[in-house]
Amino acid sequence: MLKKTSWLLATAFTVVLGGAAQAEWQPTKPVEFVVTSSPGGGTDNFARIVQSIIAKHKLMDQSVVVTNKGGGSGAEGYVYAKGAAGDPHKLTFGTNNEYLLPYVAKLAYKPDDLTPVAAMALDEFLLWVNAKAPFDDAKSYIEAVKAKPETLKMGGSQSKDTDQTLTSLVEDATGTKFIYVPFQGGGTAAVQLAGGHIDSNTNNPNENAAQWKAGMIKPLCVFSPTRLQEGPKVTPTMGWSDIPTCKEAGIPVDQFQMPRTTWLPGGVPATAVTFYANLLKKVSETPEWKEYIERTSQTGRFLAGEELKTFIAQDDTKNKKVFEREGWVVR
Amino acid sequence: MISRFSAEIGTAIATAGLGLTAVVGSLEYGVGWGAAGPEPGTFPFYIGLLVTAASLVTLAQTVVGRAALQTVLVDRIQGMRVASFFGPMVLFVIASLLLGLCVATALYLTFVMWLQGGYRIAISAAAGLTAAIFFYFVLEVGFQVPLLKGPFEAALGLY
Amino acid sequence: MENFAPLMHGFGVALTTYHVALMIVGVLLGILVGVLPGLGAPNGVSLLLPLTFTMDPVSAIILLSSMYWGALFGGSTTSILFNIPGEPSSAATTFDGYPMAKQGRAAEALTLAFLSAGFGALVGVILITVLSGWVANFALQFSSPEYFAVYFLAFASFVGLGGASPFKTVVSMGLGFAFAAVGMDTISGGLRLTYGFNELLSGISFLIAVIGLFGIGELLLTMEEGLRFDGIRARVAPRDVIRTIATMPRYWLALVRSSIIGCWMGITPGGPTAASFMSYAFAKRLSRRKEGFGKGEPEGVVAPETADHAAGSSAILPMIALGVPGSATAAVMMGGLMIWGLNPGPMLFIERPDFVWGLIASMYLGNIVAVLVVLSTIPIFASILRIPFAIIGPVIVVVCFIGAYTVAGRPFDLWLALAFGVAGYIFKKLDYPIAPLVLAMVLGDKAEDAFRQSMIMSKGSLSIFWSNGLVGTLITLGMLLAVWPLVAAAAGRLARAKSSSAAA
Repeated sequence: MLKKTSWLLATAFTVVLGGAAQAEWQPTKPVEFVVTSSPGGGTDNFARIVQSIIAKHKLMDQSVVVTNKGGGSGAEGYVYAKGAAGDPHKLTFGTNNEYLLPYVAKLAYKPDDLTPVAAMALDEFLLWVNAKAPFDDAKSYIEAVKAKPETLKMGGSQSKDTDQTLTSLVEDATGTKFIYVPFQGGGTAAVQLAGGHIDSNTNNPNENAAQWKAGMIKPLCVFSPTRLQEGPKVTPTMGWSDIPTCKEAGIPVDQFQMPRTTWLPGGVPATAVTFYANLLKKVSETPEWKEYIERTSQTGRFLAGEELKTFIAQDDTKNKKVFEREGWVVR
Repeated sequence: MISRFSAEIGTAIATAGLGLTAVVGSLEYGVGWGAAGPEPGTFPFYIGLLVTAASLVTLAQTVVGRAALQTVLVDRIQGMRVASFFGPMVLFVIASLLLGLCVATALYLTFVMWLQGGYRIAISAAAGLTAAIFFYFVLEVGFQVPLLKGPFEAALGLY
Repeated sequence: MENFAPLMHGFGVALTTYHVALMIVGVLLGILVGVLPGLGAPNGVSLLLPLTFTMDPVSAIILLSSMYWGALFGGSTTSILFNIPGEPSSAATTFDGYPMAKQGRAAEALTLAFLSAGFGALVGVILITVLSGWVANFALQFSSPEYFAVYFLAFASFVGLGGASPFKTVVSMGLGFAFAAVGMDTISGGLRLTYGFNELLSGISFLIAVIGLFGIGELLLTMEEGLRFDGIRARVAPRDVIRTIATMPRYWLALVRSSIIGCWMGITPGGPTAASFMSYAFAKRLSRRKEGFGKGEPEGVVAPETADHAAGSSAILPMIALGVPGSATAAVMMGGLMIWGLNPGPMLFIERPDFVWGLIASMYLGNIVAVLVVLSTIPIFASILRIPFAIIGPVIVVVCFIGAYTVAGRPFDLWLALAFGVAGYIFKKLDYPIAPLVLAMVLGDKAEDAFRQSMIMSKGSLSIFWSNGLVGTLITLGMLLAVWPLVAAAAGRLARAKSSSAAA
């Protein structure tokens, strides 16, 4: 409650200040939503939900055009945004890869080249195993990995990305070692686990829900400080809120989440940033957005302004530590 | 006039060059066989070597069999025809990058039909404009696929 | 036939005037996006998606899947008429379809393509209907080594095909692999072969290569022969269409073989593009008229088209049953499923049988509707060929470049398309085969990823490729296929003599 009040105050403050300083900024031509994933990806769904909500509730006078620039794990979109410096009609949708990609690959943009606007949700990560596996809790699984280092396979989407970072965090915290197998996406990792080709994965709830429902795989714990929101039961006996947190379950990694972020190019007026932050805030208060959050079992959390900057700085430091330890950082 | 011999030589040198580019480029990423299988550069490295080697064989075959390859590949008239088509195409690409796809389409179709097709300028211009407007409405408006835009669209406030 | 009753129920759902009207609208829109290179089914589907939010899920999926069928048919049309594959999977159709059009047999080629595509699609749907439970389980058995084996099999079927110099074939295929390697490397998470150019970050698009190599390259060749278009003589009378329909049974063997290949590549992760190439390769090897391939042999149109659509429709099953999208279009449709409140995955069959069987029934009906609609468009499309080349040539240039731009909205792609156009022209003049390059670009990075994933799993041991019956059989088959040309060299001489005398 306190948080909400302070946020409202902060917004009110900026709005008042902005309004007093100069006329409120408005887009004067169609706004391009630059999506840093290919059609059908998590970021694509995120951007298109926002687009459909804006259209449905007529939150903006100008129309929205969505373009997918998912090349180079999303780097294409960020480089494109860098090239559009000063153009407030291009809103880029991504995750924490905006500030993490430049560590692991030599890219032609720096995280500071873009202006953060808002983070709208946090996607959760869970530890999953095949339903037929003889482990009923995270502890026994970790024991098994410890007993046979470098034999059990952890699957994930891409390399040196969130899934592998989390795997590394788990390894470091528990003194274990997996074989990490990078797949093209979370969907493939889910099917590989259901087919018994890998031993576990750290997929987002949305990526594995269908297989869990069908009884092909089971969740062991969630990498979140608190349990997931209560909802309808997914299987006859369990719902999302019945999954223990990993800390409860004996893996000392208490928090790992991926923010869904939006960015403007560099050198845009501060009033434009405020405009989009307010717009997205309105989006996040609609029932459609809440429905999307619940359906994909993400955690709805709206961050903008200073709060967002602090979050980014913390997330950046935490990930950077892993990257350095694993020797992934390119010069 | 281009002989088959010189075209074969030129192409083989070009493909060998591409192969070498891949070889040099992949050296940066490690070309060995690590603990977890091939390193990132391994595959392009050997592919590059293979392309280079095969290009060199083609080159050698061409030199050895040059007597039979002194035939005309593209004669003067054919060369002129291809150039007269290719030249405007290159100009079209340059115009697209400078002026946007719609304006370039209108200009290109108009001039090609008028100067090369022998149609009257009015008819040519009408056809060019119609095509540009058609593509604009089908793609930009209908399918919401953004086309490359230029100063003209900006002046009209379309973008 | 425990699936028979729900299917009949599905037909009940799909066979309403409203739904048939939706199918026709979907197919027509699909043809439009399919005909324009660069625009494809994913564009159409993502455009229509917002419109479907207010619709009933069954109606929505009928509209979207009909659009998908329409796009596949539209892609074949431009392959045959202009040598420009509107969709990647119809690239193999150009090999014989375009020569047929040049000989004034455009109507025949289009009719054959549409009918065999329809046939392939129906076989794919029947497979889904009969074996729905089994197919999903079979697809679950596939992991990286099996993926690699499937790709390997596709490559092996292409080795030693065609009369070109083996060294030129190696150059062509190798360049395809090299182009496919550019950009982000999934396994290492780093960039490769970008040489510091931002333009190469997202790799070299296969579609750009195809637009250049086939479309622009062919235009340059046509120009060289003078300002005319060989298809001009094409006169299309409805009776040509009907006469061609009557010749269909002649190709029964190619139809059956290609359907099998197509279904196989659809339920394994090969996909429609690989299926059409592989089917073409097998047809050329096994046909009694192999000399005519590449010069306008009808069987060379029938084989890739059948396999393409068989794969396209049978690939829908893993998507519904496992929740894995097999293609960009499927990925967008899956996004749609979720927005309509359905969760793709194993439970969909149990939770929403009306939806699943309505969709499967609509695949039967949608394809029949699509074949009827496209057959009736043949005279319209074929009449395009009568437009003077001075007009249609430049228009095709414009379509090619606009298509190249819309693939990803990158100005650099215009230059790339131009470069591939020049390469296509030179390769054709000097007898470098283009098909291996295209195939390597489609499957190259996937095959490499699968291989390296297998190596990570096995800690660098190649024995993983013989670790179970499935992968062992596939790899061994692939190896046999790869060396077949050498083994059959002697016997081939005999067979060739026989077939040429048969042709004469």
